[in-house]
Amino acid sequence: MGFERQFGLLVLAFICTICALALPAAAQASETHAKVELIADPESRVSKGTVWVGLQFSLDPGWHIYWRNSGDSGEPPVVRWTLPAGAKAGPLEWPTPVRLGSGSIVDYGYENEVLLMKPIEIEKGASASSLPIAGDVKYIVCREICIPGKAHVEVEAGTDNALPPAKTAEWAAKFRKAREELPKRLPAGWSCSARPWETGINLRVSGASAVRNAIFFPDEPGVIENSASQKYVASGSGFELRLTKSQQLLHRATKLQGVLVVESLDGTRHSYRVAMPVH
Amino acid sequence: MKRLAMVLGLVLLSLGWGLTSARAARVGERAPDFTATDSNGKVHKLSEYAGKYVVLEWTNRGCPYTQKHYNSGNMQRLQKEWTGRGVIWLTVVSSAPGKQGYVTATDENSYVNEVKAAPTAVLLDPTGALGHLYDAKTTPHMYIVNPQGTLIYNGAIDDRATTDVADVNGAKNYVSLALEEAMAGKTISAPATRPYGCSVKYPN
Repeated sequence: MGFERQFGLLVLAFICTICALALPAAAQASETHAKVELIADPESRVSKGTVWVGLQFSLDPGWHIYWRNSGDSGEPPVVRWTLPAGAKAGPLEWPTPVRLGSGSIVDYGYENEVLLMKPIEIEKGASASSLPIAGDVKYIVCREICIPGKAHVEVEAGTDNALPPAKTAEWAAKFRKAREELPKRLPAGWSCSARPWETGINLRVSGASAVRNAIFFPDEPGVIENSASQKYVASGSGFELRLTKSQQLLHRATKLQGVLVVESLDGTRHSYRVAMPVH
Repeated sequence: MKRLAMVLGLVLLSLGWGLTSARAARVGERAPDFTATDSNGKVHKLSEYAGKYVVLEWTNRGCPYTQKHYNSGNMQRLQKEWTGRGVIWLTVVSSAPGKQGYVTATDENSYVNEVKAAPTAVLLDPTGALGHLYDAKTTPHMYIVNPQGTLIYNGAIDDRATTDVADVNGAKNYVSLALEEAMAGKTISAPATRPYGCSVKYPN
């Protein structure tokens, strides 16, 4: 290779490096394997009193982030919000997670993409037509290895102006999907109870019919052993799920709370919020 | 009849196995004895340390949670302080070949020198046998065995479950706390906590 060519390539490499360093942090590089952005529900209006924003994670294939209870390893994303005066944030809404990992280490989280929605309540009499919302996000994204990530994200919420129609439709669809993925209330006629035994907890669901399998995701870590299989047993009026107690649980568990995903006979899955005392 | 007996025997055996491994390494119970080889080729048995406190520290140098404690010098400080007070500190590497954190003996010795780590020894556990015996889930994951051979601590290194170096100072260090309490004859206030970190990279 001639000297001029080598020199030219060197200059090019130098320029490219400078350009890469100058890119804004919000344009996530692929080495973090996650793209994070803050989007707003196009249906929200300030005048309605609550606007919804959502933290959208788009993950490279095979990579995952974690649910509110990450399970045996990892940690959920954490956000420090910056809200305008007169606005108050409600809790983050977590779509139904999936079970990740295998063997003796099992985690709970999300692959591909997930929208974590957050309601922002506005004080009565607020005159703004839109709200600037910002967040500083810390998260960890993992596959065989884990990579911590940080992002600063912003969006103008509650406004009906200036988004191109394609974007509006895209964002509306993401909010719709996230709402579908939220765990629902137990169907009428179903009830849950939990009973401890020597090394476990039996979660009993009565009134359930046309069901063939279920899985429980605990809100709190340290209650059940995440990697233990959950034995499904059909019983007269419903079913039982035999959960194993966590190695970290030294005292008696007094309550069980989390997400119950039930598989119907037709193969469809339904996700429910459950909470019950253990006795 | 013979077949039935064999099947029954197998069932009982696997039940027993299941019970044993599920109940391994519970706080308040006898810490499982083990034999493991360190990065200098020396063989260690837990039972040879009867009469001493033993700390087991699961590590993976590539894990950002581990890096938080090594880059800040926190882990090295703990190792130095406690080995100086007669505690046997055994770092354990249970990463399988080809997975993050896997090291050869020579590699590990260079690394220990480079980062000025001060464990009593580094046990190389590429098959994950020791990891599974203790059901180590994360790096870091910490265990403490008392001089009588009872497991008195199982869990996180401290109460700040993040990758931020800034969270080292001001964190409640569960290992130091448990050792101080045990050495003073007090009840351990936090004997089992949820460990945090990256998953241990066991073989598939």
